[in-house]
Amino acid sequence: MSEKNKFKLDKSKLAISITIFIICFIIVYVMCIQFKTVDKIDVAEIETMRENDLREALANWKEQYQETDKELKTNEERINEYQNRIESDEEAGELLQDELENAKMLLGLTNVHGTGIIITFTDNNDKYILSEDLLKLINELNSAGAEAISINNERIVSMTDIVDVGEFIVINNKRITSPYTIKAIGDLTYLQSALSIKNGFLDEYQTNGYTISMKTDNDVVIDKYEGKMTLDYVK
Amino acid sequence: MIVGAIILGCLIGVILGVNAPIISYTYSGYLAIAIIAALDSIFGGISATLKGNFDFKVFVSGFFGNAILSMLLTYLGDKLNLDIYLAAIVVFVNRMFLNLTIIRKYYIEKIWSEKKKKTN
Repeated sequence: MSEKNKFKLDKSKLAISITIFIICFIIVYVMCIQFKTVDKIDVAEIETMRENDLREALANWKEQYQETDKELKTNEERINEYQNRIESDEEAGELLQDELENAKMLLGLTNVHGTGIIITFTDNNDKYILSEDLLKLINELNSAGAEAISINNERIVSMTDIVDVGEFIVINNKRITSPYTIKAIGDLTYLQSALSIKNGFLDEYQTNGYTISMKTDNDVVIDKYEGKMTLDYVK
Repeated sequence: MIVGAIILGCLIGVILGVNAPIISYTYSGYLAIAIIAALDSIFGGISATLKGNFDFKVFVSGFFGNAILSMLLTYLGDKLNLDIYLAAIVVFVNRMFLNLTIIRKYYIEKIWSEKKKKTN
């Protein structure tokens, strides 16, 4: 009872109650937080480790992190280098591709188009066209600078054979018949003048009674060589 | 009224504390030493009350002062790479036992004397 009197002497009872309430609240609140924190971090390893050990571990991890970071950077640099190399390779590849396209065009392995002439050669009652007539025409065209030639859509390439087999003419192992349409791409004036010159191909064949006509075209389309090109003996 | 304040404080503390977010493990050490300091102050206050020389100002200042001082000491120990908080714990726990002894003795004597009165 004596202490109660002392309370009254020191301060009013209300102030004391409020202060004790605050103190109780703080201690219980903090204890709850602490219990929860310790409960959540129940990793046995961390619990049993001393703080120094933890610090050492932390330092180790930091070192490892730095090393890994360094490695990552070098790897990234390497990747960049490789990428640059790939890009230059791609450039080289494009050049090669261009060259390949050009070579294919020269060989006659691609469809081409351009200015040129179209000659129609037809059998009539008097004259039959033979392979040598076609060969002669091709020779004339080549000498006039023709870059691509086809006869009835059979592309004339370096391996093309033009032979008479019975009543037919065989080009690239395919039979063709009259009328023969010969397409040639090249310089228009050269081709035209080379064929239609006096005593030239057209003149000669027309006077000999062949049915032959020639017209120019600004966009002659010549298909590619359809056969296979293989080399077995050339080395 | 004081008992009511204690009960209410504990109740609200539990309710809010359960829903409070957890703190970083690094700082839980500081909180622990503060809790020990506060508990020491409370036991000290109880024993002082029983002895009859309880001073409310001393109690409140001890409650907060000891908690803050122990936390500061722990922080200093962290910086010095020295486990100063161990010394604080030794002091606090030692005092807690002493105070608990006083409280125990007081109640034992009280009960003993009451029994004697009854028998008499």
